[in-house]
Amino acid sequence: MRYGPLVFLAAFFALAVSWFGMVYTPQIQLGGAVQETNSVISSDLYPSERPGLARQGLEVYRENGCFYCHSQQVSQKGTLVDLFLTDAGKTNMAVANALNEEHVGTGTFSGPGIAAGLPKAIARNLSMERAQSLAAILKNNGAKSEMHLVPIGADIERGWGVRRTVAEDFIADATVMPGSQRVGPDLANIGARSPDLNWQLVHLYNPKLVTADSPMPPYPFLFEEKKIGSHPSPDALRPVGKFAPRAGYEIVPKPEARALANYLVSLRADTPLYEAPLTPPPPPKAATNAPAATNAPAAK
Amino acid sequence: MNSPAKQPVAGAPRDTELKDPTVPIWLIVVLFLLLFWGAVYFDDHGGWFEKQVYTPYVSADQLKDFQVGGGPNPFEQGRVIYSKTCFACHGANGMGQPGNVPPLVGSDWVNEPQPGRMIRIVLNGLQGTGLTIHGQPFNTGTAMVPWKSFSDEDIAAVITFVRGNPDFKNHAPPVTPEQVKAIRDKIEGTHPGSFSPAEIEAVNPAD
Amino acid sequence: MTATSTTSSASGSISAAEIDASCRLPLFQLFVGAVIWAAVASVFGLLASLRFHDPNLLSHYSWLTYGRVLPIATNAWIYGFCMPAGLGVALWIIARLSETRVAQPFLIAVGAKLWNLGVLIGLVSILAGDNTGFETLEFPRFGVVFLFLGYLVIGYWMLVTLHNRKEATVGPTQWFLLAALFWFPWIYFTANYLLLAHTPVRGVVQPIIAWWYAANLKLVWFGLVGLAVIFHFVQRMMKRRLYSRNLAALTFWSIVLFASWSGIPSTAPVPAWLPSISTVATVLTAITALAVVVNVYQTCGRDCSKSEDPAAGKFIAFGTMAFVVAWLMNVLNALPGVNAVTNLTWYTVAQSQLNVFGFFAMTMFGAMYYIVPRVTGVEWPSLKSVKIHYWLAVAGIILIVVPLAIGGFVEGFNWQNVKMTNVQVAGSALNFVRVSTIGELLILLGNLILLGNLIRLSIRYSQTHFVPVYKEATTELKPAEGKP
Repeated sequence: MRYGPLVFLAAFFALAVSWFGMVYTPQIQLGGAVQETNSVISSDLYPSERPGLARQGLEVYRENGCFYCHSQQVSQKGTLVDLFLTDAGKTNMAVANALNEEHVGTGTFSGPGIAAGLPKAIARNLSMERAQSLAAILKNNGAKSEMHLVPIGADIERGWGVRRTVAEDFIADATVMPGSQRVGPDLANIGARSPDLNWQLVHLYNPKLVTADSPMPPYPFLFEEKKIGSHPSPDALRPVGKFAPRAGYEIVPKPEARALANYLVSLRADTPLYEAPLTPPPPPKAATNAPAATNAPAAK
Repeated sequence: MNSPAKQPVAGAPRDTELKDPTVPIWLIVVLFLLLFWGAVYFDDHGGWFEKQVYTPYVSADQLKDFQVGGGPNPFEQGRVIYSKTCFACHGANGMGQPGNVPPLVGSDWVNEPQPGRMIRIVLNGLQGTGLTIHGQPFNTGTAMVPWKSFSDEDIAAVITFVRGNPDFKNHAPPVTPEQVKAIRDKIEGTHPGSFSPAEIEAVNPAD
Repeated sequence: MTATSTTSSASGSISAAEIDASCRLPLFQLFVGAVIWAAVASVFGLLASLRFHDPNLLSHYSWLTYGRVLPIATNAWIYGFCMPAGLGVALWIIARLSETRVAQPFLIAVGAKLWNLGVLIGLVSILAGDNTGFETLEFPRFGVVFLFLGYLVIGYWMLVTLHNRKEATVGPTQWFLLAALFWFPWIYFTANYLLLAHTPVRGVVQPIIAWWYAANLKLVWFGLVGLAVIFHFVQRMMKRRLYSRNLAALTFWSIVLFASWSGIPSTAPVPAWLPSISTVATVLTAITALAVVVNVYQTCGRDCSKSEDPAAGKFIAFGTMAFVVAWLMNVLNALPGVNAVTNLTWYTVAQSQLNVFGFFAMTMFGAMYYIVPRVTGVEWPSLKSVKIHYWLAVAGIILIVVPLAIGGFVEGFNWQNVKMTNVQVAGSALNFVRVSTIGELLILLGNLILLGNLIRLSIRYSQTHFVPVYKEATTELKPAEGKP
């Protein structure tokens, strides 16, 4: 029996199946994704195109292999719910009793107390099922409630993001580099953590300027040390101590450094999306006399 | 065993004439156990190939539950309300039913900058003949029921969704609950019943 | 350890020596190129590892930054050493098993040259900054073209050699090699075309394809070729047939069906079904490791150490054990509980190193140590060097894999601990990485010893084969004695 062609067919079949499942199907599902008004309030599209300098920065990121040490994939272990009471309705006593019967919270609710200081959180870190049943109970008693989503996970607690990254976050990028290792922190949301361009530039010039025992190598070749002209450049870095340049010289970022810093500052993944819902924090209010009692939802 | 006729070249036994002991039974058992585990694992965590399900969510239905819209997210909230309520008549694609239910796709009353007409229709319903959209008449008298029992936030959310949904080819600005409340108060006393197409036509949208 | 050359009694069949002679030119090109690239890769690997001792090292040069040195090391290993060595050994095995001369050895040598040119172009491009951004696929378009052409040339003539075989049925070794021969062009073309061509795929599909390709290369292709070499040499050294063809068939199917679906990390920004399928597929590759253990152990019989060629056999034995450990490490990494800790840490690097170097490279070293004397007719100039290379390589890979694996776990647990800052967590793994630098150094020394041995062998070969021929061709003709 001639096994040669059979072996070839077997290999062909297996590879075809793998190709179909891992190359073709993802392309069908995700490859045609376009920017959508998926979940943002206005008719802005998400994700927005990176501005030109940031797009060049992506190329610098790729050329210097930043993705070998930095990932851009925030993970999420689960989503919990905070239940906010927005309207105690007409029968405060009934609402309070219902909540007490459900053993919600640590203390007990009282009729008059429950209507004070609305909107306020009456239970935190619930599972969705529990939150839904409590919301139904409140509704039955004439009260109104609101659920705020709280994504949880090690990455989120570490501050690397407010939700997990999803495919939609990367549609606008020419080369998508989610990385495979974390020698350094995750960068998916670095634009929200460190939005200061100057900080990024100083950190790129020599990370030890910012963090004393950083294992990240410095990138001095992205900068140039030039003689100070008639007056110092406005965007010169000012490192001190052993990192300071020679007398009469200043450190000025090259276009690559500027582009890379702009790219880093543009990296954000904090918009609520259908696939990764979250309740964004309310925008900071202007200073008022009233004390901020609770996590008030954004003004309607 | 080595058959004398086929002397292997340079001492390499030909592996085409192997003995064929069966695969050890424990390995088969392990294989099937792993396959079973794999099937259960995928069932629990795979989201069944849904494009929008990412860990930690496990199914499209569960993901829908999490679209609570708490906070400044009325578009998504409106999408959920539409998918539960309006789609029954207006269709999941917003095209309505020809002759019976008007389309929301590219509709003038949906897309005009001031939402007065649309808020009135949603609040109090629309009934009567004489409605023509894109040259198509809707004269069967099928009524749109009033939805004033919904809260201002919910009505604002669903109108925001319909007005801004690119799938419906609509790009109109969103609507706030205050706007809904203002019109609700205005028409509560003066016009408690359904509107007719002629009345809506006569309305000043900025009102 | 002399080169055996039995002449078969039946007419029409050729001797092993003739087959080996036909392999000489292509194997020379493939092996010498591979060993040179291995040395280059080890140098860059050491350079990369040294950065963790002092980040400021050589940081003023853009072309020596870590992000450029690391891909050069990995790509030089995979495309410079592993694949040509694998192809060379596969060619020899196919020729021997087919009992026929290699078809068109000169063209295969040309293919090898094309491949090496592609690798050179690719590596220089990465140095210059033209990195595509996809791991294992960093070579830009113009390098890829040469690699692909070279492979097609080599692969086609290997296929012709297989086609010319004396016996129609093919055994497990040949199944594995045939499947691998065909596998690489498909995955390489698909991945490079979809990622680098004029209108590449967009969005997160890019890394999905890159991960798919990397798994298919490192697990499927390396697994198929490496196991074929192991199966063949175990039989050859033990002078015994492979224990079970059914187990070999199970191994084959589990590799091509399961390992080809692995590769997507669990935290990837892709819908849940992709990492789930990858997890399930990776866990199922445990079957491959177990099947190989049973098959090889039973073939060796009681005593695994009595082999025809102990120096080369040791490499093959180590390669087999490394295969099992590496694939089981991969399975461990895929288990959801463990993955929460080891994902994106040094553990995955350790597993990859063990698979590529510990399993595949060591197996190829052993095969080369066996094949080269038989093909050239010249013994290795220094047998002691072979032993030293073995121990250096073993010590090196253990010093890389064990600290990095442990460091990966430590780092993973620390990432979960919110009280530790980013720098503290990175620092907790640093000492482990610093130990692995010693491993890189030992591997470099081993490769240099191999290179030296190979160069000396080549010189000796040219002295024994070329120089007398040359002398004979250029001596003045003496008048025939006793005749006018």
